[in-house]
Amino acid sequence: MKRIVVVAAALVFSAGAVVAQQDQVKQAQAQMKDNGKNAGALAAMVKGEKPYDQATVNAALAQFEDTVKKFPTLFPESTKGLSPEGDYAASPKIWEDKAGFEAHVASFAKAVADAKGKIKDLDTLKAELPVIGKQCGGCHETYRIKKG
Amino acid sequence: MLRRLLLAAVVAAIAGTAVFWWLTIPATVAAGALPAYQPNLANGLTTFNAGGCSSCHAVPKQDDRLKLGGGLAIPSPFGTFYAPNISPDPNDGIGRWSEADFVTAVLKGTSPQGTHFFPAFPYPSYTHAKIEDARDLFAYLKTLAPVPGKVRDHDLPFPFNIRRNVGVWKFLFMDDKPFVADAGRSASWNRGAYLVNSWGHCAECHSPRNVLGGIVTAQRFAGGPNPEGEGWVPNITQKGLSDWSAKDIEYFLETGQTPDGDSAGGSMVRVIKNTSQLSAADRAAIAEYVKSLPPVEGPPKPKKKDAS
Repeated sequence: MKRIVVVAAALVFSAGAVVAQQDQVKQAQAQMKDNGKNAGALAAMVKGEKPYDQATVNAALAQFEDTVKKFPTLFPESTKGLSPEGDYAASPKIWEDKAGFEAHVASFAKAVADAKGKIKDLDTLKAELPVIGKQCGGCHETYRIKKG
Repeated sequence: MLRRLLLAAVVAAIAGTAVFWWLTIPATVAAGALPAYQPNLANGLTTFNAGGCSSCHAVPKQDDRLKLGGGLAIPSPFGTFYAPNISPDPNDGIGRWSEADFVTAVLKGTSPQGTHFFPAFPYPSYTHAKIEDARDLFAYLKTLAPVPGKVRDHDLPFPFNIRRNVGVWKFLFMDDKPFVADAGRSASWNRGAYLVNSWGHCAECHSPRNVLGGIVTAQRFAGGPNPEGEGWVPNITQKGLSDWSAKDIEYFLETGQTPDGDSAGGSMVRVIKNTSQLSAADRAAIAEYVKSLPPVEGPPKPKKKDAS
């Protein structure tokens, strides 16, 4: 009887862990999607589809800063190899080349911090957005996989 | 009777070998076929960027796009290719190549030694390019710094390591008709069509391939499994890009940013490093052409796993 309880508890516990990991992946995806949404809003202004709006810029930069803060916890080892819903998956290289990945995160953090005081109007946005965009691409080149 | 059969077999074998030999003779451009010419270095640079040369030939893991010492590993279903040194180094690069050697390599896929290059080198696209562009490119490459260091051999299992066999591949899959402008379209569209199908070599990755590595013509530009390994290459016909405007494509080629704010990933990041260097007019031309590609259904995508 005791054994059954232990096994059952272990099962419940590990099932809970799996759910937690999938939630973790969803959280990472949601964070990335928000980055995209904000970057898209900035791009719309650069492309002239929307008028320049400082509040949108500030909101986007605040969200990028939030991402910088969360990055270290966004991809725990336990989520390695999970194939989530959606078009993309994290590449195993995030964990195999941890130093390289962390260097990219640090470089993104710096780009966001640098941009923060600089973007005041359309011209400065036009100058700074590609710098941040390059950070997105630089990391996605190696550490993200397009699934389909 | 037996003797006659044997004789027939020998004759068939000889004939077969002769046909194979004839079919697989590497094509070349003779030096005499190149008239006197004053190369245009600015166009050489444009060609260099449009051709994406540095995507594969730049020394990996460093930031100088013009350091063309090669060495990048290019995985494929047929083995791993290693991009050669195309810097003007006389021993390890192309420093001793004649102009005809270079034009032959780029437009015909034949080495100065008279052997076939493997089509990991996108000459099946470059073959549609103008000879003058190739000559300008050669002159431009000559202005770059020589990088010493020979790149290791490709790592291919038998029979893919037999270069002569590539002649059969070329016969089956390489269309070497020169680019013909469509008089019914704008000059910009034609420039885009030229860049995409020759130097840009977009179809080399954005098309599915058959078991022998030939592009499935009917599904050109319709995307498919990533030939370099994991993941998927997107469909860039209107089946995949219907919600992108020409302006969106243009902006993407400049910045790597998609209309929904996402960024390019994988090998496309290296492509953007080249297309961002092109003139705005050339990017607009490419966008106009890509936007005009009729919708084509690509190969079926792997089933998406439901996580919930």
